[in-house]
Amino acid sequence: MKYRIRHITEYQYADRVSHCYNLAHMIPRTSLRQSCERSQIKVAPHPSFTSRREDYFGNQAFHFEIQRPHEKLVITSESEVEVFSQRSGINLDFGITCRDALELLRESKDDEVLLAREFILDSPMVRANQALREYAAPSFSDDRPLLSAVANLTERVFKEFEYCPESTTIATPLDEVMATRKGVCQDFAHLQVGCLRAMGFPAKYVSGYIETLPPPGQEKLVGTDASHAWISVYSPREGWFEFDPTNNQVASDQHIITAWGRDYYDVTPLRGVIFGGGENPILSVSVDVARQA
Amino acid sequence: MPKVEPTPIMPRELTYSPAKVGLDEVFGPVQIQGQGQTQQQSSEPRPHWRYLLESLKTLGPQAMNERHEKAQRILRDDGATYNIYDDEHNPSRTWGLDLVPGLITSEEWSVIESGLLERAELFNALLKDIYGPRELVRHGIIPPEALFLHGGFLRACHGIETPGEHELILHAVDMVRTQSGEMCVLTDRTQAPSGMGYALENRTVMSRVLPSLFRDSHVHRLAPFFQRLRQKLSSLSVNHDQPRVVLLTPGAHNETYFEHAYLANYLGFPLVQSGDLVVRNGFVWMRSLDGLNRVDVIMRRVDDWFCDPVELRNDSQLGVANLLEVVRTGRVVIANPLGSGVLENPILLKYLPAIGKALIGREPRISSVPTYWCGDPEDYKYVNAHIHELVIKPVFRGTGEVSQRMSDLDEQGQRKLLARLKERPSHYVAQPTLLPAHLPSFEGGKLQPRPAITRSFAVACDSSYTLMPGGLTRVGTEEGAFVISSQAGAQSKDTWVIASEPERAHSSDIAAEASNLPSDTQLISLPSRVVENLFWMGRYAERAEASLRILRTVFMMLNGEEAISEISRKHLLETVTGVTGTAPGFKDCSQETLQHPEQQLLQIAKDPQLAGSIHFSLNAMLRSADESKELLSSDTLRVINDIRDAAQNLDSALSGGLASAPEEALDPLVTALMALAGLARESMVRGVGWRFMELGRRIERSMQTVCIMEHLLLPVLPEHDQNTLMESLLLSVEALISYRRRYRARMGVAQALELVMMDPNNPRSLMFQFDQLKRHIDALPKTKTSIELSAEERTILSGETTVRLSLINELSKIENGERPELSALLKKVHDILSQLSIDISDKYFDHRVGPQQLVRSNWQ
Repeated sequence: MKYRIRHITEYQYADRVSHCYNLAHMIPRTSLRQSCERSQIKVAPHPSFTSRREDYFGNQAFHFEIQRPHEKLVITSESEVEVFSQRSGINLDFGITCRDALELLRESKDDEVLLAREFILDSPMVRANQALREYAAPSFSDDRPLLSAVANLTERVFKEFEYCPESTTIATPLDEVMATRKGVCQDFAHLQVGCLRAMGFPAKYVSGYIETLPPPGQEKLVGTDASHAWISVYSPREGWFEFDPTNNQVASDQHIITAWGRDYYDVTPLRGVIFGGGENPILSVSVDVARQA
Repeated sequence: MPKVEPTPIMPRELTYSPAKVGLDEVFGPVQIQGQGQTQQQSSEPRPHWRYLLESLKTLGPQAMNERHEKAQRILRDDGATYNIYDDEHNPSRTWGLDLVPGLITSEEWSVIESGLLERAELFNALLKDIYGPRELVRHGIIPPEALFLHGGFLRACHGIETPGEHELILHAVDMVRTQSGEMCVLTDRTQAPSGMGYALENRTVMSRVLPSLFRDSHVHRLAPFFQRLRQKLSSLSVNHDQPRVVLLTPGAHNETYFEHAYLANYLGFPLVQSGDLVVRNGFVWMRSLDGLNRVDVIMRRVDDWFCDPVELRNDSQLGVANLLEVVRTGRVVIANPLGSGVLENPILLKYLPAIGKALIGREPRISSVPTYWCGDPEDYKYVNAHIHELVIKPVFRGTGEVSQRMSDLDEQGQRKLLARLKERPSHYVAQPTLLPAHLPSFEGGKLQPRPAITRSFAVACDSSYTLMPGGLTRVGTEEGAFVISSQAGAQSKDTWVIASEPERAHSSDIAAEASNLPSDTQLISLPSRVVENLFWMGRYAERAEASLRILRTVFMMLNGEEAISEISRKHLLETVTGVTGTAPGFKDCSQETLQHPEQQLLQIAKDPQLAGSIHFSLNAMLRSADESKELLSSDTLRVINDIRDAAQNLDSALSGGLASAPEEALDPLVTALMALAGLARESMVRGVGWRFMELGRRIERSMQTVCIMEHLLLPVLPEHDQNTLMESLLLSVEALISYRRRYRARMGVAQALELVMMDPNNPRSLMFQFDQLKRHIDALPKTKTSIELSAEERTILSGETTVRLSLINELSKIENGERPELSALLKKVHDILSQLSIDISDKYFDHRVGPQQLVRSNWQ
């Protein structure tokens, strides 16, 4: 499946910004299951300096610096991504069991496994704890295939937590999400990552887009798609598998990856420092994911 | 008959007996008599200690005490402090130096040296692997967690390379000699190692207070090490013609700020703070008076995770936005490179022998303290079983958590520590407490054994490392102590590596030492922050001086033999309020306060919380001085120290109240401030920095003169009172004598105006200030070539003209009980002066608002 994606981010500041330095993770990366064929970022006002590189996780990082005063910042990222058909019909009920997976993670000298262990550790925004472990535990048992357990956990997060677009800010602590049982896709991804790590499994946070289809018979509206977040779990000998707790599914070819990391902190779409700008900038984001013929 | 207390008689000789616990350096390596047998210490001092011990013995305690005092005086005069006050009520602590050096023979040192050089190479290879291929993790030589959980592993720094053969430019270790006589490394310092500047200062002081002992001991010199350091840093630049190297400091509040300023000066690099640097168009620049100057190399004393708010710690105020991206492109080089803090991870010590084999083909020759990592199940068991013998150390220093010993904690503290250990075992290591070998220290008039720890420093050079011969030694506060830290009040020592033959001085070293003073061209490229601080230092010094003078004058008038009238008293007290800017103060105050002004006057002198008080202005001046320390001569620093002491002592100096001639208590401060002004005139290079200090001083002095004139010359009063005010005016501007000489007894407003306003030869007159201001402004660096005058040139010209064109007779005229002409003129001059200060500030100083994060995220 081929997509054309347009992602527009706009900051309207209360006060003039004299200059700013930013780092964007807005260009889709290439991975085993997708290939970014063309991409372009436009920044207004015109930046005095830009650079692009691959970061530690293999994501595309885009730096820019604006040295002229402005009250509005607009970043338009456009890309064409080919998402390959998924490994068809993975049967989640077969494969390595939780017990064996833990043992391999502990004992294996395979470098893929050793490097995956980085993703069991706490990260800036996700700290595994007893509460997460207790929540996750019912999905996991020694003899259950790991992926089946993860699918079950995905389903439970989907069912037991309420999707509530206004409920949280970006930096909601996990404790709060656990207490209110509400959140948005970032929170569910963080939650599931935390649960998996608490159980001892490597898990990544994945940010990207999801294609939404209009109800039958209706035209698709512009700007209705959204940036999205889900997770990826590592099963020794089997590889990384993506699950989407917000939609209770295995990531499909409607999931387009922008970047992955330990958590939101590593892949924040736009971060940086501004000089001036006053309080409470107004942020608006619009995303279009269009299928190409 | 009163009984006479006998004066304690000091022992006439200084002798030393070995430590009763642990090994003693003087009495030599332990002789181990086979396995499992007791260790013995020789009863005779080792040969290389004999000369020193003999010399100290002859010198005796009395002379040693004198030398010690001299050393402390020099250290204080050099401004050598450890923890500069971060709140203004606590004085900084002078660096403590014990005059008995640690001695190591060349032969012994060469063994230690080869071990430390090898270790530096090993850590360099380790750093390359961590931010490169990570073979150590891939091949299972270190568990992945040992690397990935450490807060100093900065993923943003992956793949960054430093030009030249080495990634790790500076490597420092803390080491002790253990019971077995071997050197053992306790920690590696690879971020921004501190201490080399203190080592250099210690050496300088030692060679001054014990010159012949130092000369005869043939001590290996430190200068070549610093020369290598300077060469290496310059060589890192991609811009080979004129590399600009700067030293980045977190600022004057940092505990080792003295060292930053000292090293910057010694190495000849500008000392900058984060606000002095800016990234623009893919390069790093330093904001200077003459615009932006490109920076090629940064020697940093800021911890790496603070260095870039965009990619590293977002809430950092100590960093430079986008710095890391410039480093990636190779357009600026940072030493030590960002991310090098990961090498301070103590888990690595556990795996060091294996890491050594993998990276350099052998286990490191110099051993490290045994380290148990609680993330390893076996080690965790061992730690729990031996918890009372171990120090529990957090893996990452950046969280503010400190090392703890169970035995130092109360029951609750122990429970908390055990709970933390149980919750996150992999975030802790445990190490045995080693008893370091003892060195003789001069304390309480005696030589006493004290446990010692030495920090050594290695700097990368072309193909290997160079080690500083010796290093910074610190000693514990009592015999057998395990904890030695400068925070806990440990004294430091110079460390002498002594050669059997004297070392020949190289001509290049001497040249290196001669270039210590910044030249005038360097002064021009000062960060603008530094000149701004000099400007304010000038203003505050002058403000404090003017406040002191008026206060002294008022004390004298109030306590004078002639009682002064109610109305004069009111005007005088209001002048104090005006000059110090402590309104409302005596303005519109009660009769009661006017009758008994004592309380308030004393408060104006000594209350550091009261904005405008003398103590307040002095503190502000001292802070500005600290920020521009590297430009002040050592004589100036000495006077600054005197002022600091006097400010601290204001309380006790004024404890007698109004009755006991408080004006005299203020004299030493006036004198010190005048000395400061004198030194600025006589011993500061006439560079841009000096001009700004003078500008600040002159602007402040003119404003104070205007203020005093407003209060004491404007009021129209009966002749007797007029004379009282006039006398006060002339006293406070030190013109009473010249006035009396010139005009005999004819005291009149016209004559006073002539003297304090128009007289170009009176160094306190307005005319004189404007002359000077104009001269300084003309000499400032200019960028434009237009013949049109700049803002500050226009302002100063109008000020000068206004004063020059005024007519004394018009000014002294009285209409409706006022002097309207004089009043208008003083107001105008005051406005012109305020405008001038704004013009200068707008053009030369920095007015950026601080950065804010675009997205606030929680960092753990």
